[in-house]
Amino acid sequence: MVNIIVCIKQVFDPEAPASAYKIDAEVKRVILKGVPPVLSPFDENALEAALRIKDAHDSKVTVLSVGRNLSKAVLMKSLAVGADELLLLEDGAFEEMDSYATAFTLASAIGKLGGYDLILTGREAADTNAGTVGSGIAEILGIPSITIVRKVELDDGKVIAERVVSDGYEVIETPLPSLITVSNELGELRYATVKQLVASRNKPIVTWNAQELGVEPPQVRQARLLSLFIPQKENRCEVVEGETAEEMGANLALKLRAAQIL
Amino acid sequence: MSNGIKLDERLYNFTTRCVRCAGCTFGYKNAEFELFCPIYNKFNFFTYSLGGIAQLARALHEGRIDLTESVTDILYHCTSCGACAEVCAEVDFPDLMELQHELRARCVEGGQVPFAHMVIIEGLKKDDNMLQKPKAERGKWAEGLEVKDITKEKAEVYYHAGCRYCFDEELWPVARTAVNLLRRAGIDLGIAGKDETCCGGRAFELGYQGEFIKYAENNMEMLKTAGIKTLVTSCADGYYAFKVLYDIFGKRGDLEVFHITEYLARLIKEGRLKPTKSVAMTATYHDPCHLGRKVEPWIRQEGELKAGEIYQPPRDLLNSIPGLKFIEMRRIKENAWCCGAGGGVIDAYSDFALWTAGERIEEAKSIGAEAIVTACPWCKRNFNDAVKESNGGLKIYDIVELVEQAL
Repeated sequence: MVNIIVCIKQVFDPEAPASAYKIDAEVKRVILKGVPPVLSPFDENALEAALRIKDAHDSKVTVLSVGRNLSKAVLMKSLAVGADELLLLEDGAFEEMDSYATAFTLASAIGKLGGYDLILTGREAADTNAGTVGSGIAEILGIPSITIVRKVELDDGKVIAERVVSDGYEVIETPLPSLITVSNELGELRYATVKQLVASRNKPIVTWNAQELGVEPPQVRQARLLSLFIPQKENRCEVVEGETAEEMGANLALKLRAAQIL
Repeated sequence: MSNGIKLDERLYNFTTRCVRCAGCTFGYKNAEFELFCPIYNKFNFFTYSLGGIAQLARALHEGRIDLTESVTDILYHCTSCGACAEVCAEVDFPDLMELQHELRARCVEGGQVPFAHMVIIEGLKKDDNMLQKPKAERGKWAEGLEVKDITKEKAEVYYHAGCRYCFDEELWPVARTAVNLLRRAGIDLGIAGKDETCCGGRAFELGYQGEFIKYAENNMEMLKTAGIKTLVTSCADGYYAFKVLYDIFGKRGDLEVFHITEYLARLIKEGRLKPTKSVAMTATYHDPCHLGRKVEPWIRQEGELKAGEIYQPPRDLLNSIPGLKFIEMRRIKENAWCCGAGGGVIDAYSDFALWTAGERIEEAKSIGAEAIVTACPWCKRNFNDAVKESNGGLKIYDIVELVEQAL
């Protein structure tokens, strides 16, 4: 049986409209009203990759999430679509960790679980877009990793992945165990029905606090947030004039050339 | 407590002023006590009432309880019909439903919502509708009508069908009839067909205020691009969203919003539509919450008539139909009993929604009505389902269907 661990971050819905966002600059925090927490979309892609492997091979999929005030109802979606178990690392000490502390904590939990073959994460979280936790976990565990992957297949104890590059993709093979960060090109997570969500209540949800995990996250932050602000956008509209449509077109072309666009 | 919620000072003060008189669970009208609150009357327990929810909110704010699944379950059983707010003596507070809206927004922020609503909102984000149907099929209800498409042609008046009319095939005739009646009166009408999107009103009521704002902005952008100044809708939820919620959130601009009943009543008054054929039946009218008390607080809040509750226009329409004997139920207008479909209850607690509709149907039967007429697709859907469940006995109409029969 293939033992797969998928790391999922709970983030505020990144598709909420810009006007729903407010910033409290003093405490450097985003304030959102009526915006739900969701599974980070790239992590959903990672879960879909795991479920596709499970469709083809005898597998166990464990979903792992770390934070404080995690919503079980939101994370249970992963169980509803086919994951077998949910492990939540929940503790006040796990709040607002930087990428290193997150990778350290997740790697500690994975190490404690043991017996893993494949670890999947999203290419980056939809809130910070840092994209370093996946590689960090692989580094700490001392296993190979492939980043920004659009397709994953298992073959005789090896993983074969298609890694997205600017002009196409690379095909990379590594032995198991290994870690893969998944990109959106892999495809959307399958839908969860209400019936599946209700049935997911019968699947196991395990919660560990820092003491149960047996490690404290690093106290010294490797990264500090200096300021948080909404960038000011300025739109200016200029009407290109001319006697005829051809003249207007020519004048537009001249302006675009002056702006070094043409 | 790990996941309590904080209310703003105004709402918290309201929760402390509630003396648990239980007036919100029933009403006193015409020298008789009447039952108005569906959740209280179903569960017969004070927590299931505005006063009870206020006590829950206070306990959450003071950190005495957590926002658990049990608390969420109580909050989301409420149909958000607003009957309680009509009875409560809290005069300093313009819209008591604000407490419910605020609590639900916090439930959403905390990820504590019914599973059914999570699935519906996922569908909304993907397909721009509340019925989990493919967005490409949105315009099918209007096939063959040859009505203008406002995304391609100019039209004076925009008809917004709404999610329920677009995707509930059994209700398509209502929207098609509304379009035909308006065109028959000479209105230069357009629709958005497959490009129409949800108004966002239901998302707001479920607590997803972020989604609501997204749809409000998208809709207003589309209408601005199309040069639309007047909107008519057959959907009561849509009327409430466009007329009241868009205004509260500063999105409506100078868009004029009409419900089909008030627009048709005006056209009949002006002589542009003349009901002459007899429609022989004894019918009663069910006031949809979103045409009545849900829009009333906005009037009080602003101190002027910004949005009018629509009680008289549908009654004028019914009275204008020859041969139709219009009779009133006991609980009408601001004291109407809810159909049970509101606030996402039809999706998350369908049995309770049907029970509530069943109570209304029994009330209509008790006064000798052959038909119950409404002006909201969600009411009609829920009444249709409840009548089917009780093996018939009462006809359910949307008001435009009867107007058409009379022309």
